[in-house]
Amino acid sequence: MISFINILLNGLLLGGIYAITAVGLSLQYGVARILNIAHGEFIMFSAFITWMLHTTLGINPLLCLAVAGPLMFVLGYLIQKFLYKTLKDKTPSPAAFEGSSMLLAFGLLFVIQNIAVFIWGNNIEGYTFMAYSVYLGDIRLSANRLVILVLAVLICALFYLFLTRTRPGKAIRAASQDPEAAGLMGVEINRMLALCFALGALMAGFAGVLISLAYQLQTTMGMQYTIIAIIVVVLGGLGSIPGSLIGGFLLGIFGSIVSGIEPGLTMAAYYLLFMVLLLVKPSGIFGR
Amino acid sequence: MQILHVEGLTKYFGGLAAVAGVDLQVEKGEILGLIGPNGAGKTTLFNLISGTYAPNAGKIFFDGTKISGMKPNAICRKGLVRTFQSCRVFPEMTVFQNVLLGALFGAPETKTWHQAAAETKEILDFVGLSEFSDTRAGSLTLANQKRVELARALATKPRLLLLDEMMAGLNPTEVGEAMELVTQIREKGITIVMIEHVMKAIMNICNRIIVLHRGQIIAEGTPAEVSTDKTVIEVYLGE
Repeated sequence: MISFINILLNGLLLGGIYAITAVGLSLQYGVARILNIAHGEFIMFSAFITWMLHTTLGINPLLCLAVAGPLMFVLGYLIQKFLYKTLKDKTPSPAAFEGSSMLLAFGLLFVIQNIAVFIWGNNIEGYTFMAYSVYLGDIRLSANRLVILVLAVLICALFYLFLTRTRPGKAIRAASQDPEAAGLMGVEINRMLALCFALGALMAGFAGVLISLAYQLQTTMGMQYTIIAIIVVVLGGLGSIPGSLIGGFLLGIFGSIVSGIEPGLTMAAYYLLFMVLLLVKPSGIFGR
Repeated sequence: MQILHVEGLTKYFGGLAAVAGVDLQVEKGEILGLIGPNGAGKTTLFNLISGTYAPNAGKIFFDGTKISGMKPNAICRKGLVRTFQSCRVFPEMTVFQNVLLGALFGAPETKTWHQAAAETKEILDFVGLSEFSDTRAGSLTLANQKRVELARALATKPRLLLLDEMMAGLNPTEVGEAMELVTQIREKGITIVMIEHVMKAIMNICNRIIVLHRGQIIAEGTPAEVSTDKTVIEVYLGE
């Protein structure tokens, strides 16, 4: 019984990270139709900025949410405005744009990763933060992972409120359902797309900070998080924040079960799940 | 007083001129009907006026200001808005949110959330959708989805409304209700241009009709004049 609850709780802790990793990608692909393969690189970059600020200047990593997040937002905005927007104007059709934007993302992946390797090298890094345990009855949980879970859910909830209750959020949702009709109703589509991409990068920034609190960092780790984000999005459905949360937790619990059996097979099991999903239900478990 | 003035408007798709040198004027306060066989260029004309397509040649003036070349969202905020032939509501949003969106983003002046919500309520009452306010728009019947589109367009406070086949697919009762609604909208001081295949509607509520064929205007006049025009009868009944 205890071990079952243990696996479940560990799955939830892992799921929080997975959810916040996926939210940004889901938004970028669901609304702006950009499958941002470089999403994980934004996460990695933000994680390393946090690591650097913490280890060299002694800044509390949680404060880095306010630094790395907005920094990624600005970076995302500029990339959309100068790269994706230009590409979109030069691409004849939306379908062609989906393909060419993926190639652009591939390019970004290597550029960002190589800049990171140049600055921080290629070693495994990390720091300790709240590295003690809290007890929930008989169950031992690491404090930093609990903090990650709480913050991830909180950030997702705030983001959800932003999308459902505010003016720009409303415009983003309209643009995701029918961009042309939204434009004719007075929504400035290009600005919304830029905002969308920037918000996706912001979420990647937050995810990076949270990941750095408890996990090892490496400048080549981005792809792994991109893949996880894609799997979560497929699980939970595109462009939906509650979907990303549910998908994140499902994958987390699945991962925690697999790693309870054989930790080395976790990533392989994820890929297997991903392939099965694509074959059986490509629109996602909760997709229409 | 002219509210819309179109000069030599032309749009090519590949080598084909979908709209070929169209000149037209719309008077303030009228209901202008736009008819013609399928592929005559009616919807393309709407797409050009609302800014969805850029014309290859020609100019469009709305209330004296040149609007050709402006973005659709800017044209909408100037008070010129359209509805779609195939219903284009935001399916995952409630009826209320669909209309609120128009009030928040499409109106000439920026409103507070509170004002926009109050107006949305009023418009839903006007078009008779109050009871569906919290229903997901995608789950409504076609007739009601068309009302949502109309309400959403009205929420942008238009002075000129372009209706693209609003009555297509409606049953006779619904057509009667829609005609009633269009007349009421005109009474509010909103000028209307409507593309329509339902002749009963066109003949009864339009002040003036323009007939489009192969991208050109082939006849223009009152419903009585147009329905007896020789060229029009030829085009509709086959040469």
